[in-house]
Amino acid sequence: AADKIRLIPQDFFAELCEQIIQHLNHKIPGVNTAELCQRIQTSGVDINIGDLAKIANTLSFLFSTAARNNLSTEELITTLGSGVSTLPKHAVQVIRHVWNEQGKAIALSEDAGNMATVGQFVDMKWKLGVAMSSDTCRSLKYPYVTVTLTVADPSGQITDKSFEMTIPQFKNFFRQFKEMASVLETV
Amino acid sequence: MAALGDGDFAALQILLKAPSKDAVRQLCQECFSSPPAALGPLAQRACPGLAVSAQEAEQLVSALHNLTRHVVYRGFTRAEDILCLFPENFHQNLKNLLTKIILENTSSWRNEAQASQISLPRLVDMDWRVDIKTSSDSIARMAVPTCLLQLKIQEDAALCGNNPVVSALTVELSKETLDTMLEGLGRIRDQLSAVANK
Repeated sequence: AADKIRLIPQDFFAELCEQIIQHLNHKIPGVNTAELCQRIQTSGVDINIGDLAKIANTLSFLFSTAARNNLSTEELITTLGSGVSTLPKHAVQVIRHVWNEQGKAIALSEDAGNMATVGQFVDMKWKLGVAMSSDTCRSLKYPYVTVTLTVADPSGQITDKSFEMTIPQFKNFFRQFKEMASVLETV
Repeated sequence: MAALGDGDFAALQILLKAPSKDAVRQLCQECFSSPPAALGPLAQRACPGLAVSAQEAEQLVSALHNLTRHVVYRGFTRAEDILCLFPENFHQNLKNLLTKIILENTSSWRNEAQASQISLPRLVDMDWRVDIKTSSDSIARMAVPTCLLQLKIQEDAALCGNNPVVSALTVELSKETLDTMLEGLGRIRDQLSAVANK
């Protein structure tokens, strides 16, 4: 991963570290790797989302371990150990700076929401559409609901999942959620 | 969806050699449901039952596929519309039989077409569970209700052919995020009512 870090321009690397720290602090639900990757690629850097995700995971682990052990900035840099010499200088600089500013403030644990074993729901976007025509039926008038769920997976990466429902499916979907809400009320 | 040519109608008359009306019915259904690529093998299977050459079977199967798909595409629901498709000199009884079979099936065929048209991945199943988190390595005692939701999503049927890929998405929702979800769903429901009333 170290050689891929080399590719990321300093300001994007700083933004990545910022997002990771904010995620660890529960200020944001997750790191928007897909969106960040797109912007890095647009700036002309050839990096794929898999590599960026690995780097994000590594940094997240680094920061959360450092927080748990209450490491000072110098201790953190030392911990990077042999990795430091292969990490580009600007990356080490960013890590040092970010940790100095915000590292001590990371409030780990003491929060029920911290036990992420499955994806955490972040947001839902929807669209109600009517398919007018297709290659199989000239006159369709087929209503459907499209939903995009934004989910933060256990490692903190944010992904979108889109799918379609027929109207009867949607009505069932809605009914199930009302059920869940009422059960949540009563337990 | 091109209309049928004379060659197609000539081929359809091969059905006069079919052993029974049910055999014709069966063949109509298979020809509609089959994608163009699978018509070859279907023709081979139909050959012996009809006592025709391989080439004639292929022409028949192709014509029947085109006829049934054309009717569904145009959305014909009346006998007159279907009868009109046939040329003047077409065998009367066969024409009536085919029209009858098509009318019987047209609504389920339409559903089949809608189910297999291109779309985003579809929701096929949904399961949920409400848990209470009672303790963890960092908090000794608590009572936090939480919801686990598993959605089974099937990728586009048209892309996967006969082996649809179903992926499971498991998501945790808190009371707050569940309320957000409900609010969004409520708005969809309101929109649906508004559209239905137009």
